[in-house]
Amino acid sequence: MQEAEAIDNDAAGLLRRMAAGNEAALREFYQAFHGRVYAFALRRLRNPADAADVLNEVMLEAWRSAARFEGRSQALTWVLGIAHHKIIDNLRRQKSHLLDELDPEIADDDNPTAFDVLAGAQDAAQLRRCLDGLSDAHRLIVHLAFFEDLAYEEIARIADCPLGTVKTRMFHARRLLKRCLAGLNPRAVPADPEGSPQISHE
Amino acid sequence: MNKRPDHPDELLPWYVNGTLANGERQDVETHLQSCERCRQEVAWLQNLRTQVKDDTAGSPGELGLHRLLREAKAQKSAARQWWRPALAAAAVVIVIQSAVLINFLNRPAAITPLGGPAAEGVVLQVKFAPNATEAQIRELLQKTGATFIDGPGALGVYRLRLEDVTATQDQAIQRVIGELTARRDIVTYAARE
Repeated sequence: MQEAEAIDNDAAGLLRRMAAGNEAALREFYQAFHGRVYAFALRRLRNPADAADVLNEVMLEAWRSAARFEGRSQALTWVLGIAHHKIIDNLRRQKSHLLDELDPEIADDDNPTAFDVLAGAQDAAQLRRCLDGLSDAHRLIVHLAFFEDLAYEEIARIADCPLGTVKTRMFHARRLLKRCLAGLNPRAVPADPEGSPQISHE
Repeated sequence: MNKRPDHPDELLPWYVNGTLANGERQDVETHLQSCERCRQEVAWLQNLRTQVKDDTAGSPGELGLHRLLREAKAQKSAARQWWRPALAAAAVVIVIQSAVLINFLNRPAAITPLGGPAAEGVVLQVKFAPNATEAQIRELLQKTGATFIDGPGALGVYRLRLEDVTATQDQAIQRVIGELTARRDIVTYAARE
């Protein structure tokens, strides 16, 4: 946590220098954040060219708006917030139906079986395929929670939505991922309720 | 959503990524001591987190940096030039006003001098609904006479200019804001900057 704070203080310092028109600071800011902004954009847009365009737009916006960073949030939250809105813009231009919230008609499983729980992400390609099948809103939450390790309060700030919505979307995303992974992994075996669960090894 | 009221389902992802506040984390840890299902869910989420982190995306890297620096320089250069058209326009106004003033001094009854500031338009800050389409936004802006200046910023705020409205036309400005905010399916926030 201390390291994260130090990094963020550095980023805040870079933004102050960028606000003064310092191009070397912009270069450092890009080096600090390009990977994470690009990953965020790519996971949601699923197109490297579009993600590269968004990265460029985000950095230019940060350059233009550096003076408006007030330090009330972390620099990462601020820049991912810009990225979120640029991505929404991009999806809107594509008239992407994936902007729409999936209506998860998830059957009530009062007792999720171990089959659900153990239909795990054994195969990275399967996981990628299932993640790409989620709506943008769900992919956003999964990425920010597990790639960026952000708290739900920060995710709510970036996504500009209530805390309850973040938690609900994560719940649905998990359920949808499990169903998808179970569908792609027919050799997964339901757990023996009397004993140790049997795990399918690919 | 099927929530199990006695199980902290909603908190488990954030327990796994280590960001729960102390109180919530302790509640989850206490629950996990006696709940096999939630322990299995935590194991699944840990596996998911590992796989998500391992799925590296790459980046444009140095090429992206060169593109950024080139465009940032171009923006800076364009920004330095902004005053030229404005200065030219102001120079014209000064010349005209000077001519009028001279005429006014000579024939005060015959001439109405130019007055008031050059019309620069009014700037609004606007946020659009996430599901608003480009066609909807375009139609609404055309209807209200607003044009984009820049955005979105970190909070999703766009800056729009009202071309045909001056800063003193409060009623006209409020009317446009009303037209924008009446379309709650497109605009979630609009206010004068």
